[in-house]
Parts: sequence; C-alpha cells; structure tokens
Amino acid sequence: MVGLVGGSTARAEHVVANAGGETEYVRRLHRHAPAEHQCTSTLVKHIKAPVHLVWELVRSFDQPQRYKPFVRNCVVRGDQLEVGSLRDVNVKTGLPATTSTERLEQLDDDLHILGVKFVGGDHRLQNYSSIITVHPESIDGRPGTLVIESFVVDVPDGNTKDETCYFVEAVIKCNLKSLAEVSEQLAVESPTSPIDQ
Amino acid sequence: MAAAMCVDDEAASAAAESAGVDKLDLGAAAGGKRSVYLMDCAPVWGCASTRGRSAEMEDACAAAPRFADVPVRLLASRRDLDGLGLDAGALRLPAHLFGVFDGHGGAEVANYCRERLQVLLRQELRLLGEDLGQISCDVDMKEHWDELFTGCFQRLDDEVSGQASRLVGAVQESRPVAAENVGSTAVVAVVCSSHVVVANCGDSRAVLCRGKEPVELSIDHKPDRKDERARIEALGGKVIQWNGYRVSGILAMSRSIGDRYLKPFVIPKPEVTVVPRAKDDDCLILASDGLWDVVSNEEACKAARRQIQLWHKNNGVTSSLCDEGDESNDPAAQAAADYLMRLALKKGTEDNITVIVVDLKPRKKAKSNS
Repeated sequence: MVGLVGGSTARAEHVVANAGGETEYVRRLHRHAPAEHQCTSTLVKHIKAPVHLVWELVRSFDQPQRYKPFVRNCVVRGDQLEVGSLRDVNVKTGLPATTSTERLEQLDDDLHILGVKFVGGDHRLQNYSSIITVHPESIDGRPGTLVIESFVVDVPDGNTKDETCYFVEAVIKCNLKSLAEVSEQLAVESPTSPIDQ
Repeated sequence: MAAAMCVDDEAASAAAESAGVDKLDLGAAAGGKRSVYLMDCAPVWGCASTRGRSAEMEDACAAAPRFADVPVRLLASRRDLDGLGLDAGALRLPAHLFGVFDGHGGAEVANYCRERLQVLLRQELRLLGEDLGQISCDVDMKEHWDELFTGCFQRLDDEVSGQASRLVGAVQESRPVAAENVGSTAVVAVVCSSHVVVANCGDSRAVLCRGKEPVELSIDHKPDRKDERARIEALGGKVIQWNGYRVSGILAMSRSIGDRYLKPFVIPKPEVTVVPRAKDDDCLILASDGLWDVVSNEEACKAARRQIQLWHKNNGVTSSLCDEGDESNDPAAQAAADYLMRLALKKGTEDNITVIVVDLKPRKKAKSNS
C-alpha cells in the first residue's frame, strides 16, 4: 500500500497508521522549497522486511535495477562512489525516456538517507531532486520498514502540475511496490531473519 | 469508435456462388459449384523480423498452419449453410493462425504470447464446437468470436500476471511470467477458406489488401483515441502527453497483455473483426508499429502486392511449389515480408520490426500471374 502525505499537492489518498511519526520524518528530512513553476509530492510505503535489507537495496546507487523495474542497466562514472558521483541510467522500453544522468547528492548510512538529482537525459524532468529515507517500524509484531520518498521537479512546458506529479508518482509507486516485493522476498530467504524482536 | 466489420451473409453467399471450381461430390451448391466452405486453403505466408536500431529484440511472431478446425457455425448462419446443403452441425474448416507480438519492458510477455495464445485458442475452438452443436437458434457469429478471443486474451493476461496458473514443464506455476512493467501487443489473424478473423490488442496492426486498396482490420489502441481516453478517465486514470499521449504519462498504448502496474486502465480485451474473403483479396499484412510508424497502409499494400507478383513473374517455372501445400514459408510472401522490413529500416524506424505477409490469392499451376 502506498500512502501520500505532505507536499504542496498533498492528497490524502489513504489513512496511514503512525501518521504522527511519518509527519515528523517528513518535516525533518523531506524539505523541498518548490518554486512557482515546480511541483512536489511525498509517497509512503510500509514494507514487511527489516530496515537493513531495505536500506541495502535503496542505497545501491550503482545498481538501481536491483529493485527498480524500469531500469535496464546503470553505469557509474569514475572509480569512487561518493557524494557528487554521476550515474548513467538506461531505461527499459515502454516509457517516454531512454536515458537519465543522475547525481548522488546525499548518502547517510546512519540516518538512512539517499538524495539523488537528475542532471541530464531525455525524460523531460528538469531539476528533478528526490530524497528517500527508510525507518524501522513494527508491522504485525515483526520488524518492518517505513519508506518515504519525496521529490521536487520543474513542470515542463505543455504540462500541468497535476499531470507532472501524477506521472512521477506513477513511476515511484511502481518502484516502491517492487522494492517491497524484492526486500520481502529477501527477508523470507534470509536465514538470519529473526522471528521475535 | 471502432467499426468492427460483421459477417456479411450476402457476401458469403456471393463468394460461394462465385467459387468457380470443379464440382465436388459432397455438399455441392445448387449451381454445381464447390462451396467456399469446402475449398482447401493452403497456408501461404512469409515472416520477417529484426531488432533494427534498437538495443533489444522484444518482438515475437507466430505462424501456425492448420492449427485448429473452426466450426462452420462461427462463419455462417445455419440458414445459409442449410441452403447450401452443408451440415451446419458437423462441418469444420481447417484454419491457420498468424500473430505479431510487440513487447515492451522486456521480451518475456511477447514470447509467452507467441507460444501460448495458439494453445488457448485451439482449446477454446474445440470446446465451442461442442457447444455450438446444442444451439438451435442463430446467434450472431461476431459475438461468438468476440467472446472467444476476449476469453483467450484475458486468460493469457491472467497467466502472465500469475493470477491463473500455467503449466511449466510438468509443474503448475503461479508466479508471474515477468515483472509488472513488462507487456506486449497482440494482433492475430485466423485465416480459413471463407473468412479472415482478426483480434487486436495494442498498437500493432492488421491490414487486408483488397482490390489493390488497404482495408483496416484493426484500429490501434492509442491512449488519445477518443473512446479509449474516455474509458480510462471513467476508471479514474489519466492520459498525459509526455513525448506522445500515454497512460499515466508512461505507456503509449491503451491495451496490452501484461503491464499489471497500469491496471485497471490498460486492459487485455481485443477488438475483433470478421471479414468474408473475396476474389480480389491480394494479401494480409500483420506488423508491429516499427513498420506502421514509417510506412502507410497504402504503401505497404502496394509494395507487398508488387513483390509477390514480381516473385511469381521471375519464378514462373517453380510456381508449382505453391500447389504442393508446403507448410513452410512461401518464397513470394517471404520476399514481400523482407521487402517491407527493409523499407521500414530505410525510412528510419527506431523500433523492432516484425512483419507477416499472408498471400490470399489462389495461384494455379502454369497460369500466368502478370
């Protein structure tokens, strides 16, 4: 289930448990200052897998295809993977884009924050900037993960804010659903997965 | 709005009357001519496919000669069949299946459709044949074909998404065939001696060349098609122009097999066209949008017809090969398919290209083809 909270185009699609906790995370970690010609939004996903598994997938700046179904492959420029690194992402067919060049803006392994900015490509998403954070939570008495992804982006000529948000949200929802499936599968396969905690 | 052609009973009768072949013992029409429903129909086709300039090959195609027998009640009314002295309950026509499947997001769904659709269709035709025997009144034949293809395509889509189990080897498998962003078009044609039946889902296309003119047997499922956009928006979806009109701004077609991340907006329901064959039918072309994006229906018909004629003109001595009922590709139809593929490449298409050409013109031994 994907919930939607915060942002200038906030829409309460679902009533989400632990709203207080999420709101606090969004307030502290997902600050975007959208300009007049930009739109922004925040999406939430609850995943029944421990936070270390989810974070390992999310933080793989050099291998987004591990959980993003639209990515065909990815090449990181240079040898060192650090803030400022660039990756060239090739996109699968069936989308209105073939490539995306993306910069690693933020990577915090303690606070579990990944920030990425689009700096090139044919996707029409100018000045796209996203933040993904993952947070431990309990789901049905088992360790789970709350994932929050927010973005801000220019509204392209010929499109409305609503259209732009709708398009980006559709892609992110697909990514988050896949992230849940992949990490929940890993959790099932992992022999160290604790039943009680 | 999609203008699906219905069976024209008068045209079917006219076709029967003008069959112009030797008398046959069984079920001869009053005029002493062989019924179109009793004529043999050798499969005569060519198929050409290429990755083109794309990095991936995600197209697939299928040609299944004599893949199933079609109950004649799917092709003509009981009244017309009785008038021709044919047994409406028992007669079945051999039919051939041709299909083009243009995948996106990966090739898994297109490849699955290539193998699986003919199996499902064969099963459904067999079952339907048994049911028809118990139906006394004449239900519209078009409705039967709609129901048949809609059921097959839905089953196919359910298997792809893992909602219906499928047999893999000897094991029942219920996991999805592919990730949720993988999908495929499907345009298929069932060809028998009396009719051509086309079912289409997505933006591949089937075009009949009749009397040198193109006849559209399918209408592309594009998101900005007025009725498709209305259907999507009625379900709460959005069609957004993002490098072309797209469902949710992402997918450039409004119907497909697979693509479960865009359910319920993108559906697998095909649109079906049933056309009686005619004497001036030249050929049938099924192709992916890698061809149709750069070649018009008119140009494709003209080129295919000309290439087939050219082949026969240059190979008159061996034209008897066609009369042997060879079940492999026909060289003349193959030449036409190859030509169309090269034409699309020359015109700069960026996509995969898959073309099937089915020659519908009966060709006699030693007869001049000029």
